[in-house]
Amino acid sequence: MMIIDDEPIVGRRLSRMFERDGYEVETFIDSEAAARELENRTYEIIITDLKMQNVDGIRILETAVEKNPDVKVIIITGFGRKETAKEAFRKGAFAFIIKPFRFEELRQVIRKAEKEIRNFSSG
Amino acid sequence: MTGEFMQLKIWHKMIIGISIPALLTLIGGLWSYKYINDVKKRHSYVQIADDLKEDVLEVRRNEKNYLNYRDHEHFKQVLASITVLTRSIKMISPATIDEIGKDEFLLLNRTSTNYSTVMEKLHAHFHQEKQSIEKVREEGRRLETFAATGEHKVGLSTNFILNLRRLEKNYMLFRDRDSFTQLDNALSQLKGMVESCYDCMPYVEAIRDLFASYEKSDSGIGELQISGNTLEEITDRIARRERQHIETFFTITQRFTLIALILLCTLGPMLVYGTASYIVAPIIRLTEITKKIAEGDLSLRAPIKEHDETFTLAVSFNTMLDHLQLSHKSLEKSMELLREKQEEVEKCASVGLLVSGVAHEMNNPLNNISLTAETMKEEMDVLSHGELNECLQDILNQSDRAKRVVENLLNYVGARKSSAVERLDINSVVNESVNLITNELMVTNIHLNKNIPYTPLYVKGDHNKLEEILVNIMVNAIHALKDADPGVLSVSISHEQADGQVLISIGDNGHGIPESDLKNIFEPFFTTKPTGLGTGLGLPVARKLAREHYGEIEVESKEGEGTTFKIRLPVYEENV
Repeated sequence: MMIIDDEPIVGRRLSRMFERDGYEVETFIDSEAAARELENRTYEIIITDLKMQNVDGIRILETAVEKNPDVKVIIITGFGRKETAKEAFRKGAFAFIIKPFRFEELRQVIRKAEKEIRNFSSG
Repeated sequence: MTGEFMQLKIWHKMIIGISIPALLTLIGGLWSYKYINDVKKRHSYVQIADDLKEDVLEVRRNEKNYLNYRDHEHFKQVLASITVLTRSIKMISPATIDEIGKDEFLLLNRTSTNYSTVMEKLHAHFHQEKQSIEKVREEGRRLETFAATGEHKVGLSTNFILNLRRLEKNYMLFRDRDSFTQLDNALSQLKGMVESCYDCMPYVEAIRDLFASYEKSDSGIGELQISGNTLEEITDRIARRERQHIETFFTITQRFTLIALILLCTLGPMLVYGTASYIVAPIIRLTEITKKIAEGDLSLRAPIKEHDETFTLAVSFNTMLDHLQLSHKSLEKSMELLREKQEEVEKCASVGLLVSGVAHEMNNPLNNISLTAETMKEEMDVLSHGELNECLQDILNQSDRAKRVVENLLNYVGARKSSAVERLDINSVVNESVNLITNELMVTNIHLNKNIPYTPLYVKGDHNKLEEILVNIMVNAIHALKDADPGVLSVSISHEQADGQVLISIGDNGHGIPESDLKNIFEPFFTTKPTGLGTGLGLPVARKLAREHYGEIEVESKEGEGTTFKIRLPVYEENV
């Protein structure tokens, strides 16, 4: 799992929780570094902020989907507009969550994504 | 005249302009035709006069022959040539006679008739003269015979008679006064010699007759010659006069052609130019006005003083202008409304932008707080003291961040309008602002390059707000100089007297602003700084505050070389 958010607290808190849930987590504050990492490694789940310096969430989504069409990308954003959400889904986002969100909310989405990944690989 | 002329329409002016030269040319053409005809006629008159003269000369030639031979044959020739002359005269048409001169022909006719009469008379005289000569010779011979017989008295010698006959012959030969005097003297002697010589008498009588005949025929010849001369003179005069006519004609033609040529060369272009400009003048007047109107003065109107087609044009044009002016006014009104609307829309848009920015800026710290709180809640038991402390600090920091966002927002919106406008020395305001960041400069190891004049330079404004502008921009510069070595912050003030403005330049040699971002830096919530460092409201607030002071902020930047902000504020003037 990859978590990208230029708010360091988000990465810190989320990674801690998801690691406790048993996921392997990498956090990035710099989206550009994350994009580079995407070239080298395949992630199953990506949680990314939308509005970031240099490379924004939509670009991360595009890069990830291009690399791995089955990737589950969850977008979290401080200000979500309908058009941005639509664009994200059109480009293959798995979910679109607006900040502030409850950890449980995100956890449900991640579980759903994980289930889909498992079904796909077993079926 | 001009008044009437002004009423003409262009159409009529053109017709007149074309017809006058055309008419003049036509008249000139007709006149030339008639003129050439006249010349031709005159030329024929010269021919006629020459012919008449020829005839007269023929008559005179025959007359001379006749006077030489004095016979019937030559007499007939003279008469024939006279007939030729009279026939020639008769063949001339009355119109021609009128043209050349009736009097001349009257005289010519009379003279030729007279000539014939004199001729016939002369011929009769010549006949009589011949008879007289015959008679003299006969009587002479008889006198000779009479003298030879000697039956007369003394003194009448044969010699004397012979001498008498010689004198008689001389007289007949010379027919002059001398020989007549000699003969007359001899006859007087004869009378003296024989007192009543009956035989001598017939001779004397015959001589007397001869003398009379001679006198008559001589006077006849004179008369004839006078008449002939007159004929010659008349025809000569006619011919000369007709020639003179033609000469005059040619001279006139030459002069006329020259004058026409000069007029054509001088008046022609003037006339054409005059007519053309006269026709075009109203159009030009209209054009000039329309040009002025086209340059933007819609209040002008075309003059409506012409009476030709341009009148309608000017009226239509003015009506069009009225409409145009009305539409222009309503357009301006619409534009005004549109501008107002646009301002409103822009306000709305910026409100929208503001809201989305605020949402983003608020939601992030909120999200951080909520995530931290959740962590604490879920991990309450597991968290170490240190971790717990870290979480609590995060929550406090994020609340502060949210507070700052709201503060800046309020600043931007201008809710805290505690402004105190006063006369301020901008130099000291800048100095104080620089003092506020001195600590920061020291910590970040940035060199300050300050160029602030000592003479006070006054502006009108709020001390705090001006300070905020300056600090905002200087803090931005410090952020930009994070990686510069050595970082230099330059602050300078100059008085731009021409514009009555103070120019405060704040420059750095930092990383600069990419060109694509330059246009956005004054937009609210646009920030390129790492999260938490900037709210995206610093520059928008600075600009808003500068504009409140009737000033402006501009930015010049080159990536990798640095950025300079230029703040312009109007200089405070006592009398303004």
